[in-house]
Amino acid sequence: MSDASDPAPVTEAWVAPTWEQVVRDHSARVYRLAYRLSGNPQDAEDLTQETFVRVFRSLADFSPGTFEGWLHRITTNLFLDMVRRRQRIRFDALPEDTERLPGTAPSPEQVYSDTHLDPQVQAALDALSPEFRVAVVLCDIEGLTYEEIAATLGIKLGTVRSRIHRGRVQLREALAHLAPRRPVTTQDAVAEGSVG
Amino acid sequence: MNIPESHLAQEAIAALVDGELAGGPAARAARHLTGCAQCRMAVQAQREAKEALHASADVAVPGDLLSRLCAIPFTADVPSTDGALSAGPGQLTVSGTTGSWAVPLAPTPAGHERPGHARWLRHGFVGALGILGVGVTALALNLPAGSSDSGRPFPEPAAGATLEERTEIVPPLVRATTVGTAVQPSVSPGGTP
Repeated sequence: MSDASDPAPVTEAWVAPTWEQVVRDHSARVYRLAYRLSGNPQDAEDLTQETFVRVFRSLADFSPGTFEGWLHRITTNLFLDMVRRRQRIRFDALPEDTERLPGTAPSPEQVYSDTHLDPQVQAALDALSPEFRVAVVLCDIEGLTYEEIAATLGIKLGTVRSRIHRGRVQLREALAHLAPRRPVTTQDAVAEGSVG
Repeated sequence: MNIPESHLAQEAIAALVDGELAGGPAARAARHLTGCAQCRMAVQAQREAKEALHASADVAVPGDLLSRLCAIPFTADVPSTDGALSAGPGQLTVSGTTGSWAVPLAPTPAGHERPGHARWLRHGFVGALGILGVGVTALALNLPAGSSDSGRPFPEPAAGATLEERTEIVPPLVRATTVGTAVQPSVSPGGTP
């Protein structure tokens, strides 16, 4: 009707989704991200739950078009908070008491049946430092561009590039160690590389 | 001005694999790669790491998690300083510092391009109402049963505890809304006692 004169016609045309629709549209993405980052279903569930609680509490600040970036940001920030909290706890507590917590880590078979991600790949991912892991997961699993990753994590583009590169190098080394069929020694890999 | 001795920067190698290099730098990198086995190897290693992750399939969300997420409007605390949840006829409204976001409880009058909206919503609320209703009924049935239980010497504390528990479980706000809108949408007009 008054589209031309209205300063925000886009917002007006936009119809708010129902909460259940929000959950159905986005929970799989959030859970997958949380799972890849945390490496276990318990933390993934907690992170997903907390992410959606945050989303619900701040729905009033929500504007259309930013939803997925927003979810990525909340989930990764919650994950990094969780990791830092645990590092602090581990640092403060006596090492012999908290170094090994039996029974919390799922078996490789469990991980595979839950995620269909090669348990060795998930283990290699888990071995990365959290900052590298977040960058690599957002890039290679979530398919975000460097610019989106920079915005999600609040870091510079150059930092994104370098974290992705170093994260992948570590990942590749861990996988090469686990699967010796693919050598990374210089001579072998040169011959291999010249073919492709 | 190609200097053959220098290798690709690490950042450039990652960016090349991800297609994040602009045309000019990408062409220069490709030229360098044809003559540099070491950089080819580095690119290949990045590619393999990327593919190892990319091969992973979707993760299924556990069903109980999904229902917990759907129940967040009924279970999550909304701090009054940051925002508030209020119910009016036909909608739930989440208010914050910058505005409010309404969750409609009835089909929207305009924009019917997605009929799934209202159906999901109604299912959700009727389901929630059913759970709440069962809970209230169960508690209501428990109350007289508890107080008439001759086996207990002091029925009053038990009944008090049950009452307390009930106020925590059922948000009065939501109960009022669902009873008002969803249960009896078309009660007989002359129903005033």
